[in-house]
Amino acid sequence: MTEFDVAVIGAGPAGLAASIEAARRGCRVLLMDSNLRPGGQLVKQIHKFFGSKEHRAGTRGIDIAVGLHREALEAGVVFWPDTSVYGVFPGGALGAVRGMLGGEPRGVVVRASTLILATGASENAVNFPGWTLPGVMGAGAAQTMINVERVLPGRKVLMVGSGNVGLIVSYQLMQAGADVEAVVEALPRVGGYGVHAAKISRAGVPILTSHTVLRAFGETEITGAEIARIDESWTPVPGTSRRVDADLICIAAGLRPYARLAMLAGCRMTYSSALGGWLPLHDRAMRTSVPGVYVAGDVGGVEEASTALEEGRIAGISASERLGMIGAADAARDREEAEARLSSLRMGPFGRPRYDAKEAIYEEGANACPRP
Amino acid sequence: MDDELIVCRCEEVTAGEIRRAIRDGARDLSAVKRRTRAGMGLCQGRTCESLVVRLLCKELGLRAGDVAPASPRPPVVPVPFGAIGDPDEADH
Amino acid sequence: MPSTLTTFGYPSLDELRSSPGYPARERAEKGPVAVIECVQEIPCNPCETACPRGAIRVGIPITNLPALDADKCTGCGVCIPKCPGLAIFALDMTYSATEAALSFPHEYLPLPRPGDVVVAVDRGGKAVCASRVLRVSDRPANDRTAVVTIAIPKEHADRVRGIARRSEGNDIG
Repeated sequence: MTEFDVAVIGAGPAGLAASIEAARRGCRVLLMDSNLRPGGQLVKQIHKFFGSKEHRAGTRGIDIAVGLHREALEAGVVFWPDTSVYGVFPGGALGAVRGMLGGEPRGVVVRASTLILATGASENAVNFPGWTLPGVMGAGAAQTMINVERVLPGRKVLMVGSGNVGLIVSYQLMQAGADVEAVVEALPRVGGYGVHAAKISRAGVPILTSHTVLRAFGETEITGAEIARIDESWTPVPGTSRRVDADLICIAAGLRPYARLAMLAGCRMTYSSALGGWLPLHDRAMRTSVPGVYVAGDVGGVEEASTALEEGRIAGISASERLGMIGAADAARDREEAEARLSSLRMGPFGRPRYDAKEAIYEEGANACPRP
Repeated sequence: MDDELIVCRCEEVTAGEIRRAIRDGARDLSAVKRRTRAGMGLCQGRTCESLVVRLLCKELGLRAGDVAPASPRPPVVPVPFGAIGDPDEADH
Repeated sequence: MPSTLTTFGYPSLDELRSSPGYPARERAEKGPVAVIECVQEIPCNPCETACPRGAIRVGIPITNLPALDADKCTGCGVCIPKCPGLAIFALDMTYSATEAALSFPHEYLPLPRPGDVVVAVDRGGKAVCASRVLRVSDRPANDRTAVVTIAIPKEHADRVRGIARRSEGNDIG
């Protein structure tokens, strides 16, 4: 058995930031991730990030991950890569298996009085005839293949979904040498940032709003897809269907919080469509309904890397407060700085709906999430 | 979603089988899972959960927020059974 | 609110001209100037600190659209590789009697070389005209966003925003 003050699950921007803040305040922190490299989704983000200086704006995601990892090690965080946490048990013990990716898998039980869940999100699926054929995959999976594994999964791509993931992965597939035949979007408007859409438009990629994929063609692997215009009730408009040749169909249909460990920990759940679905209820200090259990990043509502980073900082501060490493006044002051930056990230036409949704969660969580 | 369309890839469960389960009385993800095995495979519903929710909503006239998430059971990720637990505590 | 940008994925000239980052035609005629094509309020401000002359203002909140002070701007192009959205260009309408010089960010390999004749494209990726590559800047400070400058006929200065991507010979494997 291994004991720490704080166990952090998930080494993406939220988990790294939480670990750094807790370790800098004197907590003994264990950070675990199922991947070999820390950074979560940052490791495959080869584009420059938005935000402000505090969020390392203008820096590529992968470089932000490298910087956060260095800060975590300097702060004294113990990092366990290749560690799959499979359960949270009564009393707060964590069951984990190390070495799933390399070496001999071996079990370990971790005990920590404080738990920070930064488990991220899952990609949503879309099913249509042919969706189980080789050549159909999540956009996030394709991004891992090109940017982490350096394997090009296809040369002619149909992207389904025009949120930021769909737009960014389309761009990066072209950088990796593929052609993107089209991006189809069921809604009548482009989902992601206009600047991301403009980048791929300049490269000649048509973004087809009010369009959907009807089926994938192919026997043993995909050879193309049938797409069509759809009306307001999502019904295909007769006479608009056409074939697109493709050897890769990427699904970018949004993300939802990956909250299974939070549910095992007994966290009360709440639903928010603006934040991706069911998520552990939490307050402004990232406390859940279970004393000593905190959330940060996409697991508490799908947003962006920069917001995940700030939520991680807040969770790390709150954990330190609970462990008596800092007083309540200091904790409140430190959190306020991060909260102000969070609010500035939740403005504008894209941020405002998330701001409103988060405020509703905080309000609901204020009474349900006990303070230390 | 046509009846023959696969919804759960891991367990090869079709939309028709899930619709039948709902018409037979399944009202949530767990009930669909128990009747059809949808969500019981390697990925534990990580892929098909949102698709099953869509079918439940359509068949029962619900909104996505009305369908509670499936209760997870450890192990929530695929790990070898032999590695579960703590070797140091095996004798206790 | 539907717009060309949200319907097709790229902004129309009208959308751009009504944004605070797009320089007036009269200013562009006088000499090199930055062209900021950022028309959605997203939380982002690296362009503000990128400009050594303080010609770009975002302010607080950081979702403000970047405003270009075209009198302070010299069109040096330092801001081009600093914009995470690759949405800043530089235009020199005084390059020659008949040609304008357009600088834009470019992140596809292989990079073009000075002297190459390449296909200039518009915001929707449509071929507009042939163009001549004048300069390619790939300095370490650009952090792997190259800035390419091409010469184009002046009449296309408002339309051209890049060059056709080469789809052969740029595989990662």
